[in-house]
Amino acid sequence: MKQIYLLLVLMTFASAHVFSQKMDVTGSVLSSDDNSPLPSATIYEKGTANTTITDVNGAYKISVENSQAVLVFSFVGYVEQEFTVGVKNSINVSLNPNVRDLDQAIVMGYGNQKRSKISGSVSTLDSKEITSIPILRTEQALQGRSAGVQVTQNSGQPGSAQSIRIRGTGSINNSEPLFVVDGIPSFGIDYLNPADIESMTILKDAASAAIYGARGGNGVVLVTTKKGAVNQPAQITYDTYYGMQEPWKKVALLNAEQYAIIMNESRASAGLNPDPALSNPSLLGEGTDWQDAIFQRAPMISHSFSFSRGTENSSTALGASYFLQDGIVGGEKGRFERYTFRVNTTQSGGKKFRLGQNINYTYLTRNALTENNEFTSPVLRALNMDPVTPVSRPNGNYSYSNFIDSDIANPVSAIENTFDNYTTNRIVASAYGEYDILENLTFRSTFTFDLSLGSQNIFFPEFDLGVVPNDPNRPSYEWRETNSLVRIENKFSNWQWENVATYNKDFKTGDKLTVIAGYSALANKFENLSGSRDSLATNSVEQAYLDNSLNFAEQSPRSGGGIGESTFLSTFMRTTYDVGEEFSFAGTIRRDGSSRFGRNNRYGIFPSISGAWNLTGKEFVKSNDKIDFLKVRASWGQNGNADGIGNYDYTALVINGLNYTLGGNQQQTNGAGPVFTSNPDLRWETVQQTNVGVDADFYNGKINMVLDYFIKDTKDMLASVPIPGVVGLEPSATNVASARNSGIELYLNYRNNDRDDFTYSVGGNISFIKNEVTDLGEGGQPISTGNVFGSGDFVSFTEIGMPIAYFYGYETDGIFQTDEAAISNAAQPNAQAGDVIFVDQNGDGELDSGDKVMIGNPHPDFTYGFNIEAKYKNFDMSLFLQGTKGNDLYNGIFRYDLNTTNLPISALERWTGEGSTNENPRISVSDPNQNNRVSDRFVEDGSFMRVKNLQLGYTLPKSVMQKIKLRKIRVYISASNLFTFTNYSGLDPEIGSRGTLEIGIDRGFYPAARMFMGGLNVTF
Amino acid sequence: MNKLTLVLALLSLLIFSTCSKDFLEVEPLVGSTEVNYYQNGNDAEAAIIACYNPLQQEVTNIQGSGQLSPHFRWYFGDICSDDSEKGGSGDGDEPELLQFENFNGTANSKLILAEWQVAYKGIAYCNIALDKIPAIEMDEDDKSRFLAEAKFIRAYNYYTLVTMFGGVPLITQALSPSEYQQPRASANEIWNLIQTDLIEARNDLPKRSSISVSDLGRATWGAATSLLAKSYAYQNNWGSAYDMAGEVVLSNEYFLDPNFSNIFTLAGENGSGSIFEIQYMNASGGNWGNQLEGTFTNIFQRARGNFNGFGFNIPKEGLVSEFENNDPRLNLSIFREGDVMGDRGVFTLEATGFSYNYYNRKYFSNNADDAPFGDAAPNGPSNDRVIRLADVMLLYAEAAWHTGDNLTVRNMINLVRERARGGNNSVLPDVNGQVMGDALLDRIYHERRVELAMEGHRFFDLVRQGRAGDVLRAQGSNFIDGVHEIFPIPAAEITLSGGEVTQNPGY
Repeated sequence: MKQIYLLLVLMTFASAHVFSQKMDVTGSVLSSDDNSPLPSATIYEKGTANTTITDVNGAYKISVENSQAVLVFSFVGYVEQEFTVGVKNSINVSLNPNVRDLDQAIVMGYGNQKRSKISGSVSTLDSKEITSIPILRTEQALQGRSAGVQVTQNSGQPGSAQSIRIRGTGSINNSEPLFVVDGIPSFGIDYLNPADIESMTILKDAASAAIYGARGGNGVVLVTTKKGAVNQPAQITYDTYYGMQEPWKKVALLNAEQYAIIMNESRASAGLNPDPALSNPSLLGEGTDWQDAIFQRAPMISHSFSFSRGTENSSTALGASYFLQDGIVGGEKGRFERYTFRVNTTQSGGKKFRLGQNINYTYLTRNALTENNEFTSPVLRALNMDPVTPVSRPNGNYSYSNFIDSDIANPVSAIENTFDNYTTNRIVASAYGEYDILENLTFRSTFTFDLSLGSQNIFFPEFDLGVVPNDPNRPSYEWRETNSLVRIENKFSNWQWENVATYNKDFKTGDKLTVIAGYSALANKFENLSGSRDSLATNSVEQAYLDNSLNFAEQSPRSGGGIGESTFLSTFMRTTYDVGEEFSFAGTIRRDGSSRFGRNNRYGIFPSISGAWNLTGKEFVKSNDKIDFLKVRASWGQNGNADGIGNYDYTALVINGLNYTLGGNQQQTNGAGPVFTSNPDLRWETVQQTNVGVDADFYNGKINMVLDYFIKDTKDMLASVPIPGVVGLEPSATNVASARNSGIELYLNYRNNDRDDFTYSVGGNISFIKNEVTDLGEGGQPISTGNVFGSGDFVSFTEIGMPIAYFYGYETDGIFQTDEAAISNAAQPNAQAGDVIFVDQNGDGELDSGDKVMIGNPHPDFTYGFNIEAKYKNFDMSLFLQGTKGNDLYNGIFRYDLNTTNLPISALERWTGEGSTNENPRISVSDPNQNNRVSDRFVEDGSFMRVKNLQLGYTLPKSVMQKIKLRKIRVYISASNLFTFTNYSGLDPEIGSRGTLEIGIDRGFYPAARMFMGGLNVTF
Repeated sequence: MNKLTLVLALLSLLIFSTCSKDFLEVEPLVGSTEVNYYQNGNDAEAAIIACYNPLQQEVTNIQGSGQLSPHFRWYFGDICSDDSEKGGSGDGDEPELLQFENFNGTANSKLILAEWQVAYKGIAYCNIALDKIPAIEMDEDDKSRFLAEAKFIRAYNYYTLVTMFGGVPLITQALSPSEYQQPRASANEIWNLIQTDLIEARNDLPKRSSISVSDLGRATWGAATSLLAKSYAYQNNWGSAYDMAGEVVLSNEYFLDPNFSNIFTLAGENGSGSIFEIQYMNASGGNWGNQLEGTFTNIFQRARGNFNGFGFNIPKEGLVSEFENNDPRLNLSIFREGDVMGDRGVFTLEATGFSYNYYNRKYFSNNADDAPFGDAAPNGPSNDRVIRLADVMLLYAEAAWHTGDNLTVRNMINLVRERARGGNNSVLPDVNGQVMGDALLDRIYHERRVELAMEGHRFFDLVRQGRAGDVLRAQGSNFIDGVHEIFPIPAAEITLSGGEVTQNPGY
């Protein structure tokens, strides 16, 4: 007995001796990015099953065999590192973020997919790229980052929407992609603070977007907000910047002296003497620069705070922000101000059950000036106002023009008298519960509620620019006898309920099957209430309340209120099957129903299919050490679109209020009838896309390339387009046309992380898109849109075989130099020497609409973006520019229909006699030859290249950080819209579209501002 | 446990799929669908009132834009003639109207576009009423009256279109999208439709004497017959014009108001001699974007300066000298320096701030008659006197001249002059039996001009009478025969029709 006991002790000692050759290694694992610890990083001993993970502080301890052991350190999203233990028993590792982690999980619709397996066309942005430029709106982060994604502003005015086109102009009524925030399709994304976004995935082709069926036809942008990760220590960040905006360009106009010369000539052409005020042009000098008068520098301020933390069973993320931007036109009168607050929490109840909640609250208030219309926008008025009139008189009152009496009025006075404020309180709240029914079957139910309460307050003050009371020369737009007030309250509410089941099966062969199936219901409601009264007791906006009205006379109806509702119901299923590492397939089918269509057309079915072939394992790739990753993919799919139409456009609605006065007592009597046309055959718009692409990584992931070729057909586009007056009613939406966008997108990026203290990346994308109309709607008639008042006719035309909404008008061919030449031209009977020669295309001796041809194409030949990022020690720099080439713009700025407004400087080169010029016609007060009709005279090249952002930053060194016990502080300066290179003569070449089929028409567009900013990022 | 969960999941899916059908049925809560409307007499009446509504439109939004354009009847009827000139604050004020005044107007003008769009809007509502009302179960008398009203208004709108533009697209029912692009019908076809509509309508329209006070302003037998007479006259169909005008004049339905001064006052609205007036009231609440029940004519035609008007439609010297010596109607039609402009003050050049010597009096409204508050612009109360008895009497005279009934010619002229005299026998002597032939015709023309001065008729009268070129060129204008009798078709409408609609010659 004692012997056995002794043997055991000996064996134990023996083994202890053996074990005593093992070593304990300790240390910590940090991220090289910001020196933050990486909790739950994996350390394993190569060749063994010996593994451990780091704790909350990134510290680990592992026992290894001997000093030859090799430890591998890894963490999702970071490059693995290996260290031989040697004699060290303390190894601290700093892991670099992965250049291109093929196993990185990309957020797709309803689940994640590995990048290596994705068979659709997808681009991603992470939070660093999103916040690298100071942006107000989330959409701005997408600008120039992804091939084929074109973001243009609809106006430079603070808070105004951006218009996003993924792969060209597809749906013409509403080309906006669908934003899905944390899995919930959202209505508008302006409530979201860009700093709260963790990542964005852009689904460009039909197959990826298919799971979203309806509303996915224009592409889908998946937004994932920041949440706490499991066992993540508390992280607090604070970001702030302050910036100054300024206008970057002025249009070259006539000054006062030149204006007088031209006006005198104009009157002389009609046999009139010069206006006495203009009889001596040289005395007038420069006159007023109205652009200087309305443009000013305007500040921008942003503060943003976020907190996130995770434990084993729960996580919390909080965010709050404040943003303010004044307008370069109007300053405070164009102000946009926003507060956001958000809470995101998740909990897990046991292994099988998880819950999550998300609440966003946004308060925003916006003062608005009219933009991009030709009669009351301050920008347009400043460009057309005569330069002789001073901004104000010696006594300080604003002055009116003695030469113009129309909607072109003193813009500085107009800005001061505009009080139009829109304030919104918005709550978006959602909650989900997820339950693992079986090990590989999960069920998730999500409920979202979105409530937006908007108030609009428009005050029209009394004012009078007259010199004396009842000044007879006072133009009609320069006085208002009585003040009035309009108040509108809007309530948008919608709820969504979505139920999804996910089934995963991993086969022993290494194949993987995922099936998700679900359905969702969505209901929208819009209600409004409005009231107005006039003759308020005090003429001031502070006391602008309806109860202050002194008008108690019997009123016409002054209050109104209505409601609109719509519902959507969808069922869908997606199957993905991965064959080993090499092949992956996906198929989706979705059935959508909408209340916005008539009974016969309510439902649409939208299928898609895609496949990818990962060639990385193939011999020719493996043997080629330059290529690290190669995948080819193809997809085909259909999405539906029901956005952008009214809730009841399929049926004629008879409304009351078409009144008439009758009787000896002159009483109002009610009349009723339809106001809009209706279309019972209104049906889903369908977008069908075919896509083939290649993804490749070269040189150890240093070079990354994505190449796509796509064909996108949009059928039965929904839009509301002008209709002939003979119809008698206002137009509503119909399925107007079908179009094809096809093109090639290329994305290339080079990243060099070789040196620790110097890393850089250079990348760019370019996209060639061709746009062509393939079919027209029911009537089969080409569509004319874009009525420009300066030309008095429609400018855009949509017909089969041509690009959508191209510019359509008369071609010019110089100027008649002599009266004889003019008389001998039979097609232009009213012409004389100095008038424009228009080409009689069909040679029939008549100049009419049969002679209109294509005079310009608003679609670019290609769009591109380019960026450079570099980091040297603690300094960082980024440069981002974007541009377009080959798109035309129609310059509709000048009101040629009014004969005394200002003109561009080119008017000085008018025809004054034989041989003087062959470019610009004579000046005349009437225009019998219609020199100002729609023609190539007003079409200009809108190509531009804009340095969108340049930023320099400095991160305080670790030594300083350790002393003040903060994780990271970075300061930076940046400039946005720093330089713009363009030949366009207007204020800004980056013109959005004004909705339906009006692309690239400049009507006094509110220009983007150049901004200079300085900011601070702090991580606690 | 697992089976139970699966069963539950399936059950819930089932439940939701069955309630899905109702979920997508959303009925509009504001307004009614066409299917649910047009059910009873009240609906029918409302549908007819909707036909009248576009008649009030004088300053209208161009379709699809926020831009307003005025397009008054008197813009074309008075200013384009030798009766008046544009006025306003200068050449920069309504420049397109200046072009039309000088016969330089182009197809790009918003004036004619608005006129076209509003007329077709009225026609569309009439077509809807004519389509929907017959099927309604309601009092048959009311029904036939409503249908007749719709026909009258449709004819009135087509009358406006054909006198402005010549032949236009002929639309008599609602259009489906494939039919939107319509070619022009000939002027004759339009006249035929007008005449058919009016002949049918006048059978079922009530006589003026039998409608209730609360219905004053609605179409009557007299209105339809008078418009019919005018349309015959426009086509030089003098026999029919004679018959129709005669029926109205001799019907004992209408009487000349003994006081000419009464006709254009508020109290004189819908008076004894009024055959058709477009009704307006000064409800406060209108503003520049929103023409409700008030008229803009009052403020547009009022002098500038102290009188706070826009100063349009300035009577010309030629019109003033057309009046015979001491014709009381001159004072009552035109303000001259020194006259008192109602309760707004004395007319002096200083008070107006402009050098115009004359202003229109017929559409002048007193300050006291404006709505007490609210935007002054559209709150004018004055009805638009489109057709009145004196007009039809003189038309009867003109038709009588053409058909050889000189007795009637002289009777009619003299009755009008007698009323104009106002009891003062030393002025406006009767036309005696010696005046014959062309001289007599000239007397008719003269009497029309002075009786109906500044009421929006002159230009169309000149065109109808075939004299427009001679008369206007004598004043120095560029009127070209064969071109300027009608206005250009709006370029936007030609474009939208895909070229089906062609332009008028010379434009």
